[in-house]
Parts: sequence; structure tokens; C-alpha cells
Amino acid sequence: MKSRMTILLAALLIAPAALSPARPTAKGLLLKNGNVLTISGGTIAGGDILIEGKTIARVGKNIAPGPATDVIDLKGKWVMPGIIDSHSHIAIEGNVNEMGDLITAEVDVKDVLNPEDINIFYALTGGVTSIHTMHGSANPIGGRGIVLKLRWGGSAKDLIFEGAPTTSKWALGENPKQSNMTGPGRARYPKTRMGVEAAIRKEFEDAKQYMREWDDYNRKLKDSRAGKGKKPLPLPPKKDYRLEAVADILRSKDWVRCHAYQSEEMLSIMRLCKEYGVKLVCFEHGLEGYRIADELVQYGVAVSTFADSWAYKWEAFGTLPHSAALMAKRGVLVAINSDDAERMRRLFNDAAKTVRFGGLTELEALKTLTINPAIILGIEKYTGTIETGKDADLAVFSRHPLDPYTVCEMTLVDGKVYFDRAKYLDDRIKAETEKKKKEEDAKKAKDKKIGAEE
Amino acid sequence: MPRKILKQTVPGVCLFLLISLQAQLSPQESLHRVWAVKDCRILSLSGPAVEKGSIIIRNGLIEAVGPNIPIPPDAEVIDGAKLTAWPGFTDALGQSLLKWPEEKFDAAKIYSGDFTDKDKGITPELKAFDLVNLGKAAIEKYHTHGITAAEVLPDKGVLTGQASFFSLGAPDKNKALLLKENAFGIGFSPAGFLVYPNSLMGVVAYLRQAFSDASYHALAKSRWQKEMRGSERPDYNGQQEILAGYAASKKSFIFLCRNQHDIRRALSLADDWKIDFFIADLGSEASLVIPELKKSKAKVLCTVAFKAPGTSLYSQLGKEQREKAEKDIYPKNPARLAEAGIPFAFSSLGTDDPKSFIEGIQKAVEAGLPREKALDALTGAPALFFGLDKALGTIEPGKIANLVLATGDPLTKDAKTRYVFADGQKFELKEAKAKEGEKPAVNVSGKWELSVEGGLKLTVEFMQEEGALSGKMTTPFGAFDFTGGTVSGKEVYFEMNITVGGQQLDLYFSATVEGDTMRGSVVQGTQGSAEFTGKRIP
Repeated sequence: MKSRMTILLAALLIAPAALSPARPTAKGLLLKNGNVLTISGGTIAGGDILIEGKTIARVGKNIAPGPATDVIDLKGKWVMPGIIDSHSHIAIEGNVNEMGDLITAEVDVKDVLNPEDINIFYALTGGVTSIHTMHGSANPIGGRGIVLKLRWGGSAKDLIFEGAPTTSKWALGENPKQSNMTGPGRARYPKTRMGVEAAIRKEFEDAKQYMREWDDYNRKLKDSRAGKGKKPLPLPPKKDYRLEAVADILRSKDWVRCHAYQSEEMLSIMRLCKEYGVKLVCFEHGLEGYRIADELVQYGVAVSTFADSWAYKWEAFGTLPHSAALMAKRGVLVAINSDDAERMRRLFNDAAKTVRFGGLTELEALKTLTINPAIILGIEKYTGTIETGKDADLAVFSRHPLDPYTVCEMTLVDGKVYFDRAKYLDDRIKAETEKKKKEEDAKKAKDKKIGAEE
Repeated sequence: MPRKILKQTVPGVCLFLLISLQAQLSPQESLHRVWAVKDCRILSLSGPAVEKGSIIIRNGLIEAVGPNIPIPPDAEVIDGAKLTAWPGFTDALGQSLLKWPEEKFDAAKIYSGDFTDKDKGITPELKAFDLVNLGKAAIEKYHTHGITAAEVLPDKGVLTGQASFFSLGAPDKNKALLLKENAFGIGFSPAGFLVYPNSLMGVVAYLRQAFSDASYHALAKSRWQKEMRGSERPDYNGQQEILAGYAASKKSFIFLCRNQHDIRRALSLADDWKIDFFIADLGSEASLVIPELKKSKAKVLCTVAFKAPGTSLYSQLGKEQREKAEKDIYPKNPARLAEAGIPFAFSSLGTDDPKSFIEGIQKAVEAGLPREKALDALTGAPALFFGLDKALGTIEPGKIANLVLATGDPLTKDAKTRYVFADGQKFELKEAKAKEGEKPAVNVSGKWELSVEGGLKLTVEFMQEEGALSGKMTTPFGAFDFTGGTVSGKEVYFEMNITVGGQQLDLYFSATVEGDTMRGSVVQGTQGSAEFTGKRIP
């Protein structure tokens, strides 16, 4: 609560000018002499990163800058790949749940991106460079989510992470059952966990029927064209965007992200996905995942989870602060996520808890914020490690990112500085001074006027 | 005689009696159809200003205009010396002339979940023509600020309804109508109930499906009509036929965009559907989308409330930043559109009452919009947008006689409308009366109870600003607003237009105030009057 107040107060003081995005870079940018946590190739003490355009051109030591290269000295600082938050709900305009129907697979977060959401900027202040933003958990199949790069200051289009697969957000358990909805209203089917799964299965069957109708139509169309217009062309089936979206799930085009807490329902939905050939990529929260770690590994499904958040409802009782670490040690692909605009700014603290409580190594802990979520989101080709050829998405810290006293000092996306703490604080002080001066001038002018009247 | 009848009525029914009397008499038709405005300055907006000229109006149209025009012998002459004439303004998109039916929401629906399409904001069948109220008080508000025509649209929900275009010359909507159902409204505001679509993202998905369904319905129907033998007949679907009808007849869709992101959404949907459209810029953020607007050749209906949308950074940074932006940044929106060459007209949505509408446009002018551009956006541009440029927009022979006679220059603070011609009907504005009269010696602001003879009780809440009086009256038939009243000395005068049982009724109140009481009479047209007394409700 206190931290929220501070942020709120800070927000009131910020002049929009201080939030101005992206310091333009000249021909190339060299980050010099920092401790580079590459994730994929060890840590380079006193290492350099050369950025050309939006890409990392070289990583190593004693890289000489070209004549036009900007240089930022990172002596004593730590650089890691930009943090990736694989489960969040920011930058969405309007409700994050479409509550009006049970299955709303056609409802797409891409349609309602709000590039002006100030939480994008706040995320950058915590070293976050990419996020997966999606529906809430009100529906068994909520709809499409999207992967964003936090290119703050542009339009919704500028935010979209090109090349990332589209996702479909599902939810099991108490939320789609609406068991916590105490307000008035007609009860919505389903009211049991069995019902939630049955609803998904029914939708699959409807979508398969829909796909058959289209296949049938396309066949008829082909025949009819081959017969050179003896008969009128067949009437196509009616387009149904909901079933189209479910069909895309069945075609493995959309990657499924399934909100679930309990081990039994995770096992059950894994069986369903296997049966229909659905690409189930990741369980969201998955608090009891440590109980079925081997099954998760065998299926090849990841878990995007919290470091130490549980017991907020009965289905979230059965977990431990060690859960993420236990799963990771057993070979599950684990990401630590925020699910929350405020927590998003301090994900590095949360990852550190897996070291403190679960005994993960520092590298393993950092992976839960970088390459692991990158793999889960299908963007590991572009980001998640500091390597030549990848996007220059980087976060600079005052100390090791897992140090409790660390502060994110600079965040780069596509080689551009989108957040620079020193400049930001400087701008704020300037704005405050300017404001004070204006007020004083106004007061003086007023006093003078009163004096003149006398 | 009517007065006698009134006195005999039993309590509470006198107003109903007034209606039946009105029905027997001819409507307030003007006696004169020919006017000559002599020796006025003319800003025709079709050429250079004429410093001294005349305008001849005959049978609703402008017959002649210019210097040295002979005055026809059958014309009633208005001395235009000291007055300037300019074309009547058009509100290119408004809803304040609509009288929404008063409906009680049935709370049982929240429990049963039996929501109607209306609860969902799906009301394609709603027609501005059916809902419009062009009563005297309603149109006088527009005339006072020089507005003589308006595109009116039911603007609530998702598929909001069908617009019509009116010239504000007659209370009879059949006479006032210029274009019936000429545009269709699409909004991005979900309903607040647990019913699909209840989120913005649901609304976008819904719209996509609705348009697909409409075009499919049209296809299936035409297939069946062509080949009845052996082909399946699609079910009738009124909503889909309306949508498909608008799209097929190349009528415009009006996207009600609350912020810059809605504008981008609208452009993308319009591109998918290949429809003609307008962007109603409710959030005054169109100037942030200029390249996209240019690319899709969009026409913008600019509002002038200049409230920062909740999505904007200014709103998120707190009250101080928001208010600063609303003062310094948002009023620049029309000027930036003008600079970029985006075609736009002004819409009263968001400001709603004509006074704040014109004040908002003045703000835009102060923020850098050239005055002639502002005038065009109120005259020529909307006429062109709605395909009425041959009938409206300038003072030229053959065009509809919609014009303003005022002191001062258009859109300046000291402009005072003296006469308005709408559809060739002359309206003289009362504002001068307060000026000529005494200074007010009383302040009636506050709540009053009026007892009309016959036992009818009315409560009025007056708002008095110097000699100007406005307020709201609660009657057994509903609550009604009025403006344009006057207070001079101890005399109070105000007029209002009410609807009783679907009938329009104009009432004229005058009274003398003595402390916390007043005594006077109410006249209904020429059909009768009744005495009333009033006392202040403490």
C-alpha cells in the first residue's frame, strides 16, 4: 500500500516532458565496461556491448567504438537482457474480461491496446522490455492475447512484437466457475471444474464441425469451378469469428496459455489438449505444479508463476515459496511473472526469492525473467539473452539485479534508451523548479497589482 | 372564451384541455412568406463581403442578394442597418434535440439476466426522426447562437441508431426534415451489464461479427431472390437488413470515437468493410492521428468540449496535468486539423447545449483556428459533408433561407443575434428585451412552487444571472428545461416547450415578484391563459 502511495505521489509530480521516450542514438551505441550477464554465455566482467541499429552487433571485451558511435560508460554497473513479463494485463483499454459470454475466443486484446497506459513507462523503470498482455480469467476460453515490446511513446501498432505467435488465454477453476461472484445476476454455466472442461470440449467439437463445413464448401466450390459454371456457385457457410478463433487453436496456430492452480485440473486439461492436438504452451500461476513436475516436463508445458504469492483463495492454498524452484530443478520451464502493474517494476526482486527460498542458482533465477519467458512466448530468436544478432533489449542495474538494494538505471528497447533514471530525475527536478518559479512569479505579479491599486 | 373554460376545469387537467384546444386551431404558421432585409452588411461566404446590401427571402428560399436589389412590394421589410448577415450555422452532429423516452430500468433483469438488445446498446432501429423534438423552446436555444440546421443522431451504445438532418425552421419535423436516415451511428461504449459485449474488446469483436453477418444476410437473401427453386431462404433479420442497407446504399456510418485509439479502431473497421464514414472526434484527439486520417481520406466531426479522455497521459498524471492540457492542448485540436488540411465540421456532442457549443468553437479560434476556417466548419463544410451544398452553407439566390442577422461579427464575443431565418421563417430573438428593460430588482434563483388556477402544482428551479433566466420545471408530465427567460425590474418572463402525451406545447409565463412570492399568468400560444401564484420553497 505504501509503495503504491509513493508511486502515486511521484506520478503527480512528473511532467509529461519527463516521460519523453527514446533518446535518439547516433550511428551505433557502445555500452562499455559493465558486468554483462549474457545468460547464454556466462558473465563478462568489464564487458562491452556494441549496438548497431536495433541489434546487438558484438558482445565482448575492449570493443573499440567507431568514429560516430555513442558511448555509455557502465563502470561498476550490471547489464542483463531486458526482463520479459510473460503474464500481465497492462496496456489494455476497458475491461480485461469479456464477462458477457462463456467462451469468447474471438475477443482480441490487440483491438484494445492502450499505448498511453503509464504502466508501460513504469514497467520500463523496472527493466522490463517485453510483456505478454492478455485477458483475465473469467472465461474458459477468454480470447487472444498479444506480446508487446515496450516502445513507449508510439501508437498501439508500434507496441506489437513482430514475429511473436498469437496466444489464446484459457482459465480453469474458481474464476470461470464464477464462484467468487457474489453480486446479483443469473448464474452462468458451468459451476464445476468438470463443467469448465466440458465447455471447452464442446467448443472444440463445434469448431471441428465448422471446419468441416468450410472444407466441404471449398470442395464444392472447386468442383463447381471445374464444371465451368453449370450450376451457381455454392453459398459459403456463415463466417463465425468465435469458431474461427477456436479453429485456430485446433490448428495450433494460437498458443494456449491456461490459467490453473490445481494439479488435477492441469493433468486433466493436458489430456484434453493432447486428444485434440492443441498447442498448450504454458500454465498460468500453476501453483501446484511442483506436485506434477515430471508430468509437466513430459508433456512439454511451461509454468508462468509467482515467487511467493498464495493462499488468497482456497484453490491457491496448496503451494510453497519453493514451488518455482522445485519445478525448475526438475526441468520445468519456469517464468516468474507479475500479473500486476505494480509488481512488474520489481520482478528482479521476485526472481531473487527463488534463490533465497528455493536454492536456485543466480543464473537459473535470472533465466525465469529472460530466456524462459522468451521461449514460452516464442520470441527466443529475438530476445532473452545478450547475444550477437539479437534485439538490443537491455536493462542496466546499479548492482547485481538479484541484490536487494539494486536499482534499475537504464532500459533499452531495440537499441534505444527508453528509460534513463538520471535524466528522468533531472527532468523532474527541472519541472518542479520551473513550476515553483511560475507560481512565485504569478504571486509577485499579483502582489504588485494589489500594490498598484493602493 | 378559452380563459372561461380554463376557469371551469377541475384540478390537474387544465393542461390536457389546452392540448385539445390546440389541436382544433391551425399551427403557428407565419403570415408572411416574403421578407426583405435592407441595408445590412452581408457575409455571404460565397464571395467578398457586401458592405451594404439587401437580401430578399421568398417562400423559404433566398430570392436575391446583393447591393442595389429592388425591394419587392409584397415584402415585409426589416431594417438591416447596423446588422450583419451570415449563413446560418449547422451543428454537424448533435443529440440534444432528441427527446429520449423516459423509461424505467427494470432491476429484475439484473437478477434474471434477461437483457434486451437495448440494454446491450444494440439499437439500430432507433431513428432520430422519431425522437426529435423541435419545439419552440428547443429550437430557440439554437437560434440564439445562430444555428439553423443540425444532423441529429441517437448516440448511445454500440449500434446507436439512425441520423436525420433538419433545418430548424419549423416545429413540425415533417417540414424541418432535409435528409431522413442519412447516416448510421457506431459507438465503442459497452453496456454496463453482464451481457455480451460488456468490454471494449468485446464491442470490437461484436462489430466485426455484426458486419460480417449483415453482408452474409444480404448475400443469402439475394441468392434466394435470384434462385428461389432449390435454394434455402434466410430468416428475416431486421438489424442485419438495416446495416446491410446502409452499406449497400453508400450512406455514411458515423463512428463515435472517445479517444485517438477509437479513431484508429474505426479507420481499421471502415477499411475492412469498405464503407463511407465520418469520424466523430469526441475526445478531441483527431490531431494525433493525422497521417492515418489523411491516408483514409476521413472526414472529421470535431467536438469542442475539450475534455481529456481518461486514456490520455494527462488524465493519468492527475487533476493538475489534466486541467492544464484541457486548457492549453486540447483546444488546439481543430487548428491542427485545419493546418493539416483534414476536412472537418463542428459537432455539438459533448457540449450539447448550443451556448457551450459556440463558446467551445470560440475557444478553438483563440487557440489558433483561423476564424474563416471555423466559419467554414459551421457552414460550407457540413453542407458538403451531407451532400447539401446546393441548398445550404452560403447566402446565395436559390439556397434555403437559413441566415443570421446580428450585431458584431460571427463567432466574436460581442456578436448578438437579433433575427434568425430558418427555412425562410423569421425568428426574432428576445435577448434584446432584457437589455432594453430595467435592471433586475429581484433575484429569483432557487426553488419555487407555482399554483396554477385549477389546482395544478408545478415546481420550478430558477437560475438567474443578472437579467437572464433559465431553469427547470417539474410538472406532472415530466421535467422540462428552459432558457432565454428574462428578469427586468420585478417582472419575470420565461417560455418553455413541454411534451404532454406526445404533443408539443408552448407555454409563456409572466409574473411580478414580491419578496418570496410571485403572481402572474401563463399563456398557451393564443389559446388561453391561466393565473398562477408562486412561493419560494425555503
